Amino acid sequence: MRRTASFLAVVLLTWTALAAAPAPADVLVSRQLLEREHLAVGQTVELSSDAAGTAARPFRIVGVYEPTPDPMRFAQERLEVRVHLPDAAALEDRLPSSSLTSINVELRDREDAAGFASDVERRLPGLTAKSTAAPDERTSTFAVLDRFHLAIAMVTVFGSGAFLLALMVMLVDERRETVATLRLIGLTKQRLIAQVLVEGALIAVAGAAFGVLFARAAEPVFNRFFQWRYDTALVFVRVTPAIALRCVALAVPVGLAASAIAGWTILRRRALLTVGR
Amino acid sequence: MRRALAFAWLRLRREPGRMLLGVIGVTAIGALLFDMLLLSNGLLVSFRERLDRSGFDVRVIASESAVIAGPPIDHVSAKLTELGREPSIAAVQRVRVASADVADHPSTRHLAVAGVDLGAPVPWTLLEGAPPNAQASPAPLVINRNFARTFHLTVGSPVVLNGRCGDASRPLPLDATVAGVAEFQNDAADALTAATSSQAVAALCGERGDLADMLLVQSNPAAGGPDAAAAAIRAAFPALHALTNEQIVERFSRVEFSYFRQLSSVLTTVTLFFGLLLITVLLTVSVNQQLGEIAALRALGLSRARVMAGVLCESALFIGLGGIAAVPIGGLLSRWLDAILRSMPGIPADARFFVFTLHALEVHAALLVIGAVLAAVYPMRLVATLPIAATLRREVVS
Repeated sequence: MRRTASFLAVVLLTWTALAAAPAPADVLVSRQLLEREHLAVGQTVELSSDAAGTAARPFRIVGVYEPTPDPMRFAQERLEVRVHLPDAAALEDRLPSSSLTSINVELRDREDAAGFASDVERRLPGLTAKSTAAPDERTSTFAVLDRFHLAIAMVTVFGSGAFLLALMVMLVDERRETVATLRLIGLTKQRLIAQVLVEGALIAVAGAAFGVLFARAAEPVFNRFFQWRYDTALVFVRVTPAIALRCVALAVPVGLAASAIAGWTILRRRALLTVGR
Repeated sequence: MRRALAFAWLRLRREPGRMLLGVIGVTAIGALLFDMLLLSNGLLVSFRERLDRSGFDVRVIASESAVIAGPPIDHVSAKLTELGREPSIAAVQRVRVASADVADHPSTRHLAVAGVDLGAPVPWTLLEGAPPNAQASPAPLVINRNFARTFHLTVGSPVVLNGRCGDASRPLPLDATVAGVAEFQNDAADALTAATSSQAVAALCGERGDLADMLLVQSNPAAGGPDAAAAAIRAAFPALHALTNEQIVERFSRVEFSYFRQLSSVLTTVTLFFGLLLITVLLTVSVNQQLGEIAALRALGLSRARVMAGVLCESALFIGLGGIAAVPIGGLLSRWLDAILRSMPGIPADARFFVFTLHALEVHAALLVIGAVLAAVYPMRLVATLPIAATLRREVVS
């Protein structure tokens, strides 16, 4: 549970004049709930803890908030309200009013979080205390997703590497006679290989740079699509310098290898045979 | 068309290296495409299979959530008695989940302990030991293999559990005996899971209320099946939420599992576009290198349609050979990708992200056919608009 209790709300009636009733309690509603139910700030709504509307209580909407983006819950609709703790306890009349799901603690010394957590567990043996900085399931979930995406990237690079090799072989083959003539006028194999490699490196670097720029340009498109799809402020794609470098580090060697193999296929032939003599 | 295909095959065979590399490229891209199609529905198919295998076809909870997240169901015994009278309901099981530690062991990881009615159908498959007896003392405990392995327990071993049920004070430790080792439904590969009677779990947490987090219902097929059972539960207890397996699958497909479907849709589109682009470039370069040859063939009397069909067949051969090879390669690749994703914490041990379906194979084949046609459009246009005389003259001059 965050700083205030939040729970799924059932909005029953709107624009209710409740002159005789006590003043409604304050409630904050999530932007998603406000839009979906066409609510407005200042409006009075009734909330109940069950769909049948049992023991509904009036609340006045005093504000709207954007829920903190949570990658573990992005697929769920954030139809939420935030009320004061006593009001939440009164709504949840099935549970004792003293019951809480969790308590967030802000320490004066954050470095002491682990020690504080173990101290709480020792003194209050029924509770579980965890430092928010401690590695948890979220970390490993996203580490696994990272590995999954890397695996897909590797397969893609392998496939595109095969295509690139086929293209380079065809391009070099097209220049077979030129290469043979250059050999005959005295250029060494090493010199020609170097030329092919430099050409391949230039193409690979240009291709990788274009790929990074394309990804950077496509970044807002992907983000806007998924943000629209899941109605969240989460950022799904971010091209960071580290990712760009990783991409170049994967792509350039593949381009160089394709150039080297393509160059070798043509230079291994004897020059006179290549020109048909 | 057969002659065009034979001609395209001859042309490809003339350049075996190029053909091999092209086919390898299509195979890699096709395998990825196939895997994305398996991923798009895999988790859902696997989830449906696991739900159906459980034997329970309606789940009842006290909140709208499809998972245990809301308040518990109260006065459970009275509700079970009333539900037992419904003709559409064959059996009902109650489940109360608590957290606990094994006494005298470091509590870095807590156990999940389910309290159930041991006289009703149970949500586990016994691997070792005997079905637990609710009257036995100390409390009979059914544990999963991971629990048994971690704490070196076998059938008959005594265990002392300390409840961690959210209270500042802890009730007295619960003495239990391992009655059996079982496979639990929806159990994560690394989970420490146990089950005992609902009374024992209430004692573990010091609860006095008659509570359950979920009711599992077996419907009576002769009296309307799961839909009738869910309707009867809703009519009897409007505050409870009864969901059939079908409704749970539908809800998960819309919300919880939608990420992988969206991801696979995006990757399928990108992969298809990428493969299309590469095949188009490969065919275009190939056609450009053979313009003189094609012009000569046209001059000898081959029709425009025939040379265009030749290019189309070349594209079809590339994609066809690569696409066929992509299915087994994709199958192997999916096992690797599946193993990566299944290492996520909390994923049930028997869940699968990539599941083979005939539909996925059909979509794969359809996408490849469309890909072969689209990839051939530009090179076909090149050969269709080829000026024969000018091309031949250029060939002779060069």
